[in-house]
Amino acid sequence: MEASGSADDFIPAALVAFGVEADEIELAVMRAAHELLWPPILELLSLDTGSSASEPAPDLSQAPPRR
Amino acid sequence: MSEPLDLPLRGQAAAIAAGDVDATELLEAALARIDERNPAINAVVETFPERSREMLAAAPAGPLHGVPVVIKDEWPLPWRAQRFGAADMLARTAPGESGPYRALRDAGAVIVGVGNMHELGAGSTGNVSVYGPARNPWNPERCPGGSSSGPAAAVAARLVAGAVGADGVGSIRYPATYCGLTGLKPTFGRSAMDGHHMASLSTTIVSGPLCADAGDCRLLGSVLYGEELGAGDAAGLRIGVIEDEVSEDVAPAVRVACEKAIEDLRAATGGDVRMIELPELATATLATVLIANSESLGGVTPQRLNNLDPELSPLGRGLLKYRLMLPAVAAVKAHQLRTMARQRLAEVFEEVDVIAWPTVPAVAPPLEAPLVELPSGTLTADAANVRGGALANLTGIPAISVPVGSSEGLPVGLQLQAAWGRDELLLDAAEALEGANGRRWVEAAPPAAAEPTGV
Repeated sequence: MEASGSADDFIPAALVAFGVEADEIELAVMRAAHELLWPPILELLSLDTGSSASEPAPDLSQAPPRR
Repeated sequence: MSEPLDLPLRGQAAAIAAGDVDATELLEAALARIDERNPAINAVVETFPERSREMLAAAPAGPLHGVPVVIKDEWPLPWRAQRFGAADMLARTAPGESGPYRALRDAGAVIVGVGNMHELGAGSTGNVSVYGPARNPWNPERCPGGSSSGPAAAVAARLVAGAVGADGVGSIRYPATYCGLTGLKPTFGRSAMDGHHMASLSTTIVSGPLCADAGDCRLLGSVLYGEELGAGDAAGLRIGVIEDEVSEDVAPAVRVACEKAIEDLRAATGGDVRMIELPELATATLATVLIANSESLGGVTPQRLNNLDPELSPLGRGLLKYRLMLPAVAAVKAHQLRTMARQRLAEVFEEVDVIAWPTVPAVAPPLEAPLVELPSGTLTADAANVRGGALANLTGIPAISVPVGSSEGLPVGLQLQAAWGRDELLLDAAEALEGANGRRWVEAAPPAAAEPTGV
């Protein structure tokens, strides 16, 4: 199945699923945000990061432990 | 002596300490100047003269004794809850003592006003706010930058010499650049943050100073850090630069000014410029946006989203609702990207001391249509700016924006980023750069600060 990046499909369906209402202006804002964010999000989702470690509780005030 | 209000922050502090300037007169002059100049720029959204006078009356003999400052509408004060630039911020707030407030109070500073900010901290331009947009003192039809729009505009217009901002995704550095100031984003966790409504949730936001130059940022920064940011030496500075698609997608005039500044910095420090590779930069922006936006979702419920204050901007309402749709898997992967970026940066900072690139790729855009023209085409300023600002927030490293030029009569800023805990080095490097260009850009004053005034 092809991924759908279409804001016209995705946003109304998500709003219904969450039970959130939106007016036309809000929908336009969401469409603009979606067009900007969704392509890189799909790209990110396609990355298999399963073997990448994630610092469980990173101390952002310091460099990470050496690899 | 020039007008005391036109002295740098450290000059005001020294003049008061020496008895050359009366702190009461300085406070009244600051309030009068806010009355006079602020209507044109909307930088300060609230003053409280009696509270300020009480602060001065009780001010201890600290490093900022009697010096007027502005604080962003992001922290509570004992007499005022923060509004976060919004009619509805989906968080409970109440008046109280925040870390930055206590730090300022204990240093003897006098808070004279609250600075405007981009609604919900969710923009790099400052053109959306419950108080109306702040305006850029260099050109009131241009954006002042955000989200710390008011603090930056207030300092640029010389209402005060120092202001406290906050930087969750570039929000000190963008307005510093647009307004021709020096803005320091501290290493995560080094500066006062308690009392912020997201202090226990956010892994990107820090408080930090916005001032004319690095010396003033050192002074105000020391107060916010609770430790002295000592002056050192940037000799032999190893400057890393990146040549990739994003880093090169910069307006030509900005690129020229920043390249000259990098060469000036190299020459002034006797250092060298090294090409570095940072492929993680390409994904850092999205990772930062996902993390910063998901961390703020605790107060979001469908019920609340259906009952947002009608005075919240349509932009704010739409973005809040869209955040609900961000996939959890993407947020998980964003944290993995954060780890990868931090690990790569740790390696990079063994090869170089600072990474340099333009803070933002184009000068301040029009308030009415915050778009920028780049070699790749027309982008919203937010989409363009986040590419340069996100990495420091994602990874926790410190960063500074330094004014280095002008285009279309508007300031250009160079960003320097350093390894965790090397905030002082950034100030040293910024001072070296100021020396190299004869302090031309840190002493440049916008029209709004050059008008004849009695205060």
